[in-house]
Amino acid sequence: MVRSLLNILISPGAFFADLKGEREESFTWPLVIVLLGGIAAAGYGYLFGEVSGQMMAGALPGIGALVTIFAALGALIGVFIFWLIWTVIVFALSMAFKGQGSFKRTLQVIGYGYLPQIIGSVITVIVAFEYVPRIVVPKVTTAMMQDPVAMQKITATLMHDPAMIEMTQITSIIAIVFLLWSAHIWIFGLQKARGLSPRDAALCVGIPVIAYILFMIYNLGVS
Amino acid sequence: MNFNNKIAGICLVFLITSIIGIASADLTQAQAPITGKVFVSSTTFDPAVFFTGDKGTVTYEVMNSNTNTSVMLNHGTFSDADLHLLSGTYDYSNTLGPLQTRPFTFSILADVPPGDYYPTFSLSFFDSNLYHKTMVQVDNTPLQLTVVDKPDAFTIGKKKTIYMQVANPRDNEVDNAILEVSGKGITASPSRTFIGTVASGAKIPVNFSVTPDQETTLSLLLTYNNGNNPHEVHMDIPLNFGTDKKQAYLVMSNVEVIPEGGMYRVTGDIYNAGLETANTVTVTSLSPAVPQDPYKISVARTLKADDQGSFEIAFETDGSTSIPIQLSFRDADGNVYNIVQNVTVPATSLSLPKDNGPPLVPIIAGLVIVAVFVGGWFIYLRKKKN
Repeated sequence: MVRSLLNILISPGAFFADLKGEREESFTWPLVIVLLGGIAAAGYGYLFGEVSGQMMAGALPGIGALVTIFAALGALIGVFIFWLIWTVIVFALSMAFKGQGSFKRTLQVIGYGYLPQIIGSVITVIVAFEYVPRIVVPKVTTAMMQDPVAMQKITATLMHDPAMIEMTQITSIIAIVFLLWSAHIWIFGLQKARGLSPRDAALCVGIPVIAYILFMIYNLGVS
Repeated sequence: MNFNNKIAGICLVFLITSIIGIASADLTQAQAPITGKVFVSSTTFDPAVFFTGDKGTVTYEVMNSNTNTSVMLNHGTFSDADLHLLSGTYDYSNTLGPLQTRPFTFSILADVPPGDYYPTFSLSFFDSNLYHKTMVQVDNTPLQLTVVDKPDAFTIGKKKTIYMQVANPRDNEVDNAILEVSGKGITASPSRTFIGTVASGAKIPVNFSVTPDQETTLSLLLTYNNGNNPHEVHMDIPLNFGTDKKQAYLVMSNVEVIPEGGMYRVTGDIYNAGLETANTVTVTSLSPAVPQDPYKISVARTLKADDQGSFEIAFETDGSTSIPIQLSFRDADGNVYNIVQNVTVPATSLSLPKDNGPPLVPIIAGLVIVAVFVGGWFIYLRKKKN
């Protein structure tokens, strides 16, 4: 199975063509893939949560650990939520092209397609390990907690830290590359799951993916 | 008759002579014990010790120690081969009563080389003379003006104290000693110090402060009176600018820069690595930093040599990573000294970020990746369709 899972990365068309019988209906591997992706994302969330915790520690002593834990859990759960939302979007778009398969099959396909995201998340964590210690974390004071403008300013300060900017740019490029890789898998999977032509499947997956990527690039420009 | 007359004349002469001789012999024997009890009871020179060229007075106190007999005094004189008498002699006769004292004062000029001199005072009685010799010194040793302590170096506009000492190595006291301080481009305080009488062998400390505006020579003039004769001592002290090796020297260490609330908070320790005390030590940041409340300026306590204090300041920057921190202190005279040391803050701007435009490289990279992906799929779909 592992060998065929690797097939997802290099030959997704062949992989989905080979999915038959119980494997065609099983959610085990999609869940494992998304869970692993969630764990990797939780690692990144943990590192970023530490930064937020340091920022808040001056105003609320002891909150650092809490923020870190919530950030890690949020990243883990967020991956599953993202999986679900993404499936809904793709499923809805495929309805416009008269797709025939079930939502469950679409969810399964999107889950398989999440495999490159694990690699992307691991690389992102490695990058974060390198950059997070270099981030100069501004401290929030108790008085600033009452002042939204000050909070906005200090958040902007954190986001404009040179190390933070550089890390954001690198992780964004990584995210774009591996999201496109996932999109590549999703196109093949959606053809099978919803009975779409390659063109329709490419549009159903490509439109939200390209829109999301353009949004990320926009954020890079305005941040 | 003629012979008899001659004999009678000769006898008369002898008779008169005998009567006079007897009378004279009786008077001398009666007066000698009286004049023997008249003597010079004291001699006073003013000044007590002369400089060459000094004018002064000498006063002889003549006392009649007879308890019930007066004496007739006449012709009091002062004489010496070297010392010059400026006033006259006492030529009149006067009676000095029993147990009475009378002064005889003479003005003299000591235009002689240094040494010991023995002028004579003489006084005539009707039957004898009184002679009295007393030693008087002529010594040209001046007062000594000594620098006890002064700064190693002076700084423009900084007040420094110079500690002097006036000593009198002479055998007599001098009066009206005054120390005057002057020099081009300096402010001395006090510029004129009245010291007054300086006793023989005495040492009197004199302090004054100097604020130089330029390198110059400080001129000290000590004037004093020996009797009524003015004298002076002059001394020059060069005022050269440089670094005072003893002055307090503040060093920052254990500096910690903490980004906090859009600004930097800097804490650390201050050591006094100098030898003198640093008073009212303050710490603040300089441009391009902008000090921020509540720690615009940190006031450390007075730091003695080897003492340690702490500080805490806050500031915003324009993104500069090297911020000058100014340490200020005062010395004992109130002079302000500034020491500037740089601290390195992290390469981040805690104020509003500069608008350098969007980051083109990652944006272009993202767009290229998307274009390659879309283009690849476009080509793939066209091939598949064909």
